[in-house]
Amino acid sequence: MTATAERLPVAHRRSPRRPAQDRLVGVTQLVRLVLRRDRTRLAIWVGAIVGIVVASEASITGLYDTQAELDQYGALVRDNAALIVQAGPGYGLDDPTTGAVLMNELSIWTIITVAVMSIFMTVRHTRGDEETERAELVRAAPIGRHARLAATLLGVFVANAVIAIGVVLSLLAYDLPTMGSLAFGSALLLAGVLYAGVAAVSAQVASSARSARALAGAVLAASFVVRAVGDVRGGTLSWLSPLGWAQGIRAYADERWWVHALTITATVLLVVGAVTLEARRDFGAGLVPQRPGRASAAPSLRTPLALAVRLQRGALIGWIVGVALISFFYGIVADQAESIIEDNPDMADFFAQLGQASITDAFLATSVLMLALTASGFTIASMLRLRTEEAAQRADFVLATATTRARWVWSHALVAAAGTVILMVVVGASLGAGLALMTGDLGHVPRLVAASAVMVPAMLVLASATLAICGLAPRWSITAWGMLAVAVVIGLLATLLKLPHWLVMVSPFTHVPPIPAAPFELLPLLLLGATAALITAIGLGAYERRDIS
Amino acid sequence: MSDVVKTFGSTRALDGLDLEVETGEVHGYLGPNGSGKTVTIRVLLGLLRPDSGRSEMLGGDPWHDAVDLHRRIAYVPGDVNLWPNLSGGEIIDLLARLRGGVDPRLRDELVERLQLDPRKKSSTYSKGNRQKVALVAALASHVELLLLDEPTAGLDPLMESVFQSCILEAAAEGRTVLLSSHILAEVETLCDRLTIIRHGRAVQHGTLAELRALTRTSIAVATNRPIERLDSLAGVHNIRTDDGAVRFDVDGADLDGALRHVTSFGVRSLVSRPPTLEELFLRHYDDDLATDQPSNSTP
Repeated sequence: MTATAERLPVAHRRSPRRPAQDRLVGVTQLVRLVLRRDRTRLAIWVGAIVGIVVASEASITGLYDTQAELDQYGALVRDNAALIVQAGPGYGLDDPTTGAVLMNELSIWTIITVAVMSIFMTVRHTRGDEETERAELVRAAPIGRHARLAATLLGVFVANAVIAIGVVLSLLAYDLPTMGSLAFGSALLLAGVLYAGVAAVSAQVASSARSARALAGAVLAASFVVRAVGDVRGGTLSWLSPLGWAQGIRAYADERWWVHALTITATVLLVVGAVTLEARRDFGAGLVPQRPGRASAAPSLRTPLALAVRLQRGALIGWIVGVALISFFYGIVADQAESIIEDNPDMADFFAQLGQASITDAFLATSVLMLALTASGFTIASMLRLRTEEAAQRADFVLATATTRARWVWSHALVAAAGTVILMVVVGASLGAGLALMTGDLGHVPRLVAASAVMVPAMLVLASATLAICGLAPRWSITAWGMLAVAVVIGLLATLLKLPHWLVMVSPFTHVPPIPAAPFELLPLLLLGATAALITAIGLGAYERRDIS
Repeated sequence: MSDVVKTFGSTRALDGLDLEVETGEVHGYLGPNGSGKTVTIRVLLGLLRPDSGRSEMLGGDPWHDAVDLHRRIAYVPGDVNLWPNLSGGEIIDLLARLRGGVDPRLRDELVERLQLDPRKKSSTYSKGNRQKVALVAALASHVELLLLDEPTAGLDPLMESVFQSCILEAAAEGRTVLLSSHILAEVETLCDRLTIIRHGRAVQHGTLAELRALTRTSIAVATNRPIERLDSLAGVHNIRTDDGAVRFDVDGADLDGALRHVTSFGVRSLVSRPPTLEELFLRHYDDDLATDQPSNSTP
């Protein structure tokens, strides 16, 4: 008794702030949990990224094996605004080496992919878990307040480190200089972790995983646009973009290691920010408070279609704003593509080989393809709502009312299809508006709306395939994203990777006429439409027959 | 439903299930976790297609006539997941409209009685409040059949009693209710008849009185002379003596014989207690457990 009495005051003197390590209790086990839960996903990400890097190395070293060929590449690419937008400033192309060419072809896409992986992984293990009861189980265990966040970031670090090591080893295997390889590898690692920091902050600010991903994705898109504008206009603005820093390391072109200091500083600030925000908010809540909703439903909310529209409205508006901004920017740049290339006789020769299409038209066709691939992200995410609704057992509610399965499936399919059409019209209109702003010729708008609209049938093939996967093999619905990844690789890297013809033909986008660089053709579009209809019928049939689980 | 089988891979979730619910009754559906209660309800909703057996609901086939039947039923799941960015009020209206119509007066009255704030986004509702949303949505339209899968799992005792009076009112209006539940007091209060399911089979069904008759009554008796040959009587179990009284359990069918035997020794006092629903329930739930515990032992 006396012992307790004597001890009491000591216990009361406990400091108001617990030591920092208390807030991180359990972090080791949690890192293991993060890596254990993501082992399949990470294996796919690592395999895909390192695989594409290796294939590009093989292709580049094969294509440009003499200095003359390298010089020719440098001359073609160096001052091409269109290519600078897509690829980066092209460090070292004045005196091109294999490394510099490889970086120009590959670096920005690799960095973006790593950033996307980091964003997804971070949000999944922070805000994503909070939406389920899983995170509460973890927090109820003797686990520090910030341990989950710390474990997530450490897990993302490990994933990025594995990718960076794989990339560096593959670069060294192709006899590229050690310093440059290390520079690119470390830039990849640091960029991945930086965007994990961005996602960590987004996860604190937003109140759902969906909006956290959207927020972090918007930051990534903004980084790309800022960097692209900066690179075209001499580089100053690029210093405001983390993607500019990752390329600013100048791998294989007189490395500037100090640029890493910017990335590291920004990452530290982001992590400190995320931790501070996490300490201030309630578990499960965001910083943006929930507004009260309506006490009763609007008269129009009375059909499954109205519900699907209501559920996807916010996401669609976000996508519309996003693609409108990017497209407008591409439209502005498209005009400069021509003027710069005209000054460059090598370039003019190069594009002359491509056919009758003007340089601007070739650039616009590529841009439309890229934007269509981007907008397909909406198409697939929207179609996957079918699976999310079913897995969360919200579909049960609707199907337990007087709603047929077909009607329920169609309600989401129609939103996905209509959203896709709207997005592509917005893409064309914004692209045209950007170009019209520079040229004063509004005639570009209808031309580019048509160029974008012809992408719709190909996107609907992706949508129908997603529907079919959800109907036939709901557990595998995540593979729908794999389809898009394959379409992106085929669409943007087919030449670089020297992909076989049959594989290139797999992508529905291969079959779309690249307007305005090529004339309009109706038949391929009809065939794509018919394919989409057929696959949709298969998916619907599967839904009619199977258990809802 | 008769002889319904539903398998998932190698698990037989329903293994020849028979279930009969009569029009206008409140039917209790009891069973341990994983016994197949939810699967039964999902089959009735036409969400799952049974492998074999015959099921009929309101004169229709749950799989083929799903949409027509669904106009006449309402469903409350055990685990209520709502659309996070819709408010409770919107979800109530939407679900009722999808079913065919909402009675606004009844809806407002239910919202009031269950003390639900319909303006809140459903992502901010607690489990109990999500359950209330589903309950109001189900009760606010005049349907013939209510399928309720552990509907009160997250409700506080006060709300549970409100729920009970709502169900009794629904029953008084002649609606049929299938109530899957774990809360025995609730089943005892509400249900006319009940079915106990175990490993996907109905092991017992009938009115509460019938089920009680099928099981044992506990007797405590003090007699003038010591009771002889009690252990040789049919249907008598678990004999023990304390404070001069003899206690034993006797099967419903053998009650008469046992009492005749006991009275021949001069009864000074006799207390008989019918089996509680818990005892009924536990007997069917864990016969494995029972064999380990002599105090509940069954021959």
